[in-house]
Amino acid sequence: MIILRNISFGQYIPRDSFIHNLDPRIKIIICLTVIISLFLITNFWGYFILGVFIMIGIITSRVHPKFVLRGLRPILYIILFTLVIHLFMTEGEVIYRLGIFKITREGLIKGLLISCRLFLLILTTSLLTLATSPISLTDGIEKLLVVFKFIGIPAHEIAMMMTIALRFIPTLLEETEKIMKAQISRGADFESGNIVNRTKNLIPILIPLFINSFRRADELAIAMEAKCYRGGEGRTHYRQLKIKKADLLTLFLTIVITAMVSIMF
Amino acid sequence: MKRNQVRIMTEIGMAVALAAILNFIPLWRMAQGGSVSLEMLPILIIALRWGAGSGMMAGVVYGLVQLALGPFIIHPAQLVLDYPLPYMLVGLAGIFSNKINLKAKGSTYGWLLLAVFTGGLGRFISHFLSGIIFFAQYAPEGQSPWVYSAIYNISYLLPSLLLCYIIIIPLIKNIVINEGKNER
Repeated sequence: MIILRNISFGQYIPRDSFIHNLDPRIKIIICLTVIISLFLITNFWGYFILGVFIMIGIITSRVHPKFVLRGLRPILYIILFTLVIHLFMTEGEVIYRLGIFKITREGLIKGLLISCRLFLLILTTSLLTLATSPISLTDGIEKLLVVFKFIGIPAHEIAMMMTIALRFIPTLLEETEKIMKAQISRGADFESGNIVNRTKNLIPILIPLFINSFRRADELAIAMEAKCYRGGEGRTHYRQLKIKKADLLTLFLTIVITAMVSIMF
Repeated sequence: MKRNQVRIMTEIGMAVALAAILNFIPLWRMAQGGSVSLEMLPILIIALRWGAGSGMMAGVVYGLVQLALGPFIIHPAQLVLDYPLPYMLVGLAGIFSNKINLKAKGSTYGWLLLAVFTGGLGRFISHFLSGIIFFAQYAPEGQSPWVYSAIYNISYLLPSLLLCYIIIIPLIKNIVINEGKNER
């Protein structure tokens, strides 16, 4: 049986740390700045300095390194793959020969540079999602999307829908499991058969699940309307985002470091 | 604020939650990392229920939720092409929403197939471009990124789409038709 209980959504690890307490907007901007500068850097010193910077971030976030490494697992093959391809496929000065394969100096350097870039990219985004809860990321995205309001992006509505989705993922997951158990007790079989049959067998789960979710949506809409919800204009927040000195200082530091590294290396 | 707008918003929210759950139930994992799942199904349902605009909105929200839950970013352009954009284009299935009426038999299944494949094609184009960017950035010169990207993306998108089509027929009968678009 597909076990749903052990699925963990998101990577967030709650801690009380400097990184966790930074404003989500600032964290998203910092993350984007670092990503862009990773593409501007062309040598190892640049990656080394940014790597140290990211490491300091990980240490101050007080998230155990094993969680950070867990995020790296899916990309490991891609890193190895690009490294190997570059090693053997780049033309240049041959430094090692293995049968018909040859490793070139240029290939080695390029492969390592690109592996460093991929590695640091994943570290940066992992750090962001490890140290920021999905809900506060949503708040941050809302506030940052407001900038694009003039081209008609409904920032508040998008954030509201994201919040509803994040709020109801665990609820609907529980419901899915209940429906599954109910159907299994009636003799449903979700395991055997080929992929088309297994998919067809999902129909008795999906129909009640969809109908229940849409009913929930309807009830939620009525509740919201009853409480006079009328969109983003003039709406207040329970948790106010406030940019503190520490946020500005961190942002300033990041911009100085990334700009220096991008220009110098 | 329009009458139905709050209801559409809450439905999109639920649909996105369902998509996130379905994404975690892979029906089949591929060797190269793609997986066949029904994550597009709720977005297609919203698109067929409320039209292309709402469908595309559901797609954007789903992409952003995926981004907040655990992104996989290897390039700034890939960020846009792999998260908000492909699912937004799945919502394009909604341009055929007024053609779908299972009570009037006949051509409806054809329109439904067309709608599902329009959404799928939109998603394919976006992932395909992202694949080209990935290979152009990370693979050495002289390789052909188009072929790799096309094969990789078709290999999991086509089965996903076919399975979505199989499942969407009974779902549409129960949700879009029975509850009706003009109910309120």
